[in-house]
Amino acid sequence: MEVVSLTTVAPEDISDVDETTEDDRLWVTIVWNDPVNLMSYVTYVFQKLFGFSRKKAEALMLDVHHKGRATVSSGTREAMERDATRLHAYGLWATVAQD
Amino acid sequence: MSNGFSRTTDGIEVVLGPLEATLLVELIGQIELLLEPPPVDDPLEAIVGLRAVAPPPPDDPAVARLLPDAYPDDPDAAADYRRRTSDDIREGKRAAARRVLATVPATGGRALLDDPAAQDWLITLNDLRLVLGTRLDITDDATADALYEIDSDDPRRPVIEVYLFLGDLQDQLVHALL
Repeated sequence: MEVVSLTTVAPEDISDVDETTEDDRLWVTIVWNDPVNLMSYVTYVFQKLFGFSRKKAEALMLDVHHKGRATVSSGTREAMERDATRLHAYGLWATVAQD
Repeated sequence: MSNGFSRTTDGIEVVLGPLEATLLVELIGQIELLLEPPPVDDPLEAIVGLRAVAPPPPDDPAVARLLPDAYPDDPDAAADYRRRTSDDIREGKRAAARRVLATVPATGGRALLDDPAAQDWLITLNDLRLVLGTRLDITDDATADALYEIDSDDPRRPVIEVYLFLGDLQDQLVHALL
């Protein structure tokens, strides 16, 4: 009996996959400066969501405030999207990008 | 006993005057309506709760601020992120607002909050400030600072006072939590 494969992939599909997986740069979550969010609040959210020390959270908050943005996490694209969603739930202005 | 948030041995305490409580109930009640998800066209999508097609970016700039674009330079990725996350983010904020409404001493008085309740308050107060901040066109630190020097007959004054009141309240809550 001939075995029918349900997972046969055409050669052109394989080359597509290869192209999209070549770029293995890390993804990052960026928080942008916002004139409404309180500095104390941003510090607190960084501590709460990422487990940062008060000192590290404050340093990141000051980066956001003075430089306009700060990278708060890095990793897979999926993990960065989860971080962005958690930050959005807290009202922070977060975006995802490749480093 | 002064109004606002403070840490006690039993948890975070919030004390509100009658007018403050009335104002908060009125404002928080509006979050539910503001963040109502756009309709899902396909009945099957509506049943399974997953969108096949991304909802459009919010028209209202205040809603857009609450649901930021995760990929500002990539419209396709931004739409896909919106498709997968925006309904949950909206519902999370609406649910937090509902829980706050259930704990706010509606005619003024005192309430004790555990940590999850304090997080709901924090998120809801911040969402209200983001909405009012957008309505007041607070776009940078200069426009934010200018709010403190507004003329007494400026028509925006009542909204500005509410915005600043919410900021004080939120700052107290953050310091009680930190």
